Amino acid sequence: MDRKSAVFTARLITYIVLIIMLIAQTSCGKDEKNNDVKKSDESFFAMDTYITVTAYGENSDEAVKAAENKITALEKLWSVTDQNSEVYAANHNGTAGLSDDTAELVRFALDMCDTTDGALDISLYPVLTAWGFTTDEHHVPTDAELAALLENVGYDRITLDGNTLTVPDGVQIDLGAVGKGYAGDLAVQELKANGITSALLDLGGNIQTIGTKPDGSTWKIGVRSPYGDGSFATVSVKDKAVITSGGYERYFEENGEVYWHILDPKTGKPAHSGLLSVTVIGDEGRLCDSLSTSLFVMGIDRAEQLWKERMDFDFIAVSEKGDIYITEGIKNDFELSESYKGLNVSVIK
Amino acid sequence: MSRNKVLAITAAVIFLGAVIWCAVILLKPKSNIVNITQDGTLLYSLDLSREKDRTFTVEYKDRKNTIEIKDGRIRMLEAECPDHICVDTGWLEDVPIVCLPNRLVIDHADKTDTDAQTR
Amino acid sequence: MNTKKLTYMAMLTTISLIIFIVELRIPTLAPIPGMKLGLANIITVYAVYTLNVKKVGMIVFARILLGSMFSGNISALIYSISGAVLCLLGMLILRKMIGKEQLWLCSIFGAIFHNIGQTAAAVFVMKTTTVIAYLPFLLVSGCIAGLFTGLCATYIIRSERYTMRSEETSR
Repeated sequence: MDRKSAVFTARLITYIVLIIMLIAQTSCGKDEKNNDVKKSDESFFAMDTYITVTAYGENSDEAVKAAENKITALEKLWSVTDQNSEVYAANHNGTAGLSDDTAELVRFALDMCDTTDGALDISLYPVLTAWGFTTDEHHVPTDAELAALLENVGYDRITLDGNTLTVPDGVQIDLGAVGKGYAGDLAVQELKANGITSALLDLGGNIQTIGTKPDGSTWKIGVRSPYGDGSFATVSVKDKAVITSGGYERYFEENGEVYWHILDPKTGKPAHSGLLSVTVIGDEGRLCDSLSTSLFVMGIDRAEQLWKERMDFDFIAVSEKGDIYITEGIKNDFELSESYKGLNVSVIK
Repeated sequence: MSRNKVLAITAAVIFLGAVIWCAVILLKPKSNIVNITQDGTLLYSLDLSREKDRTFTVEYKDRKNTIEIKDGRIRMLEAECPDHICVDTGWLEDVPIVCLPNRLVIDHADKTDTDAQTR
Repeated sequence: MNTKKLTYMAMLTTISLIIFIVELRIPTLAPIPGMKLGLANIITVYAVYTLNVKKVGMIVFARILLGSMFSGNISALIYSISGAVLCLLGMLILRKMIGKEQLWLCSIFGAIFHNIGQTAAAVFVMKTTTVIAYLPFLLVSGCIAGLFTGLCATYIIRSERYTMRSEETSR
């Protein structure tokens, strides 16, 4: 190697080393993004799922604790299996005096049953039990069994007078389809009462948000793909609840047929309306929770109709054919994930 | 500039590009979702934050790969292949775990920068 | 091809095969498939600069075939072969531009081509682009390994020229 090229090589190597050091320097700095806002989070098991409450702000420790206490207290009131719950009392004694929170929930639930024309029915519990979805001992009931059980299904037979709930003999109620959403609402109230202006609640996939993230940006919520664990899309929200119902959540297979836990109250069988999942975005968790289940049962046409009548919520639906329907209100906040870019999205106006 | 110099600089640029590319891969935020792919088809898409500790096997032409999930991490526990590189890779971190002979890939799914997932 | 040439090539093949087998005993630095020092390529680079295309190809492919048989890892053959093909093509073109003294540069490019060939084969066989994630790591190690093998080959050629010259003068 002559002198000139040796100098050139040495210079080249020096530059390489320098640039690598520069890269190392900048990439290390990236990790240390400091946030001044205090963050608290708590995960616990209640209402049959994992719940995570994350709150930001000075008072977040106390606020999160208060929200957790609220949710566990509500679970004790609304559980169908806990013998000390108010729901259990109503199911087994025929009548029960309810606390204000429970009475409000039942009033709202009955109202939603009405609004959805029975696509939501809180008295479906005995049928759900017959399928084994409550105990995980799955079994396909015969048509005769279902017919007998459906005799006792009908939300219109349940009466709520003031705080007194009356459930006729043989009828059993279950607030599962609305309860988690309302529990979220009450936990949100609890957080707000503690001065929280930025929080995210994840009640087993029911997402409820307060305000925006501490930096002022919107919360980005992934919408679970019916085909796998990933998200097929994201919605950006602030101060909203985002709640999904899908056949993939709980199901079993028998003789090659898939049976999922969302039942059509009219037939007592898994609802096959042509939809695989429905996500509802709205101000209140209880509204989103009850609508996500009932829209799933109703199918896309009736869902569209209900949306046009009410206009106080938005939804995202995935059909069995793999088409996606979104309502106009969230058009600008909706984005398909990278690996699902090929899906066909229609906007309902 | 002589041709040699141009070539030397080209090599240096490729080398630096590769270093930057490595840094990008190592610093990319990782999602909890892991995809297990064999021969180009997706076998499993697992959310490690919600998976129970377990081991399971995947077969390819009568050769078994045993995959272990533990404490929210995933690795190739055993492999019936000549090189065992996939086992040596250890827990899945930055680079995908690849078993070339059995055409098996374990990799993080693309990170969607979401705050939560509704399901 | 006369006997002398044949013996010469057989010897080169054997040397590279021995280096290859010795290298198998060295534990891999990082658990990345396809990452290795590739010391046997000292002979490849040397051959590229002293022999013609046909002979280089014969030496390299004989070494790869025998090597994969000896190591018992036949399934890796497709990756080595596609890497080697691209690597040889690249180096045979570059040897016209880069002189013997800067042969290490040619060797680095050979390594880069080899890594690209390997990865392309892996993408093709595994039917997934995920494996491309290994390419940058292979390239970084490949450039260093290529520089090393290239320098080794340079010294072989240099010392060989020296011995030849001294043989001539002593005659």
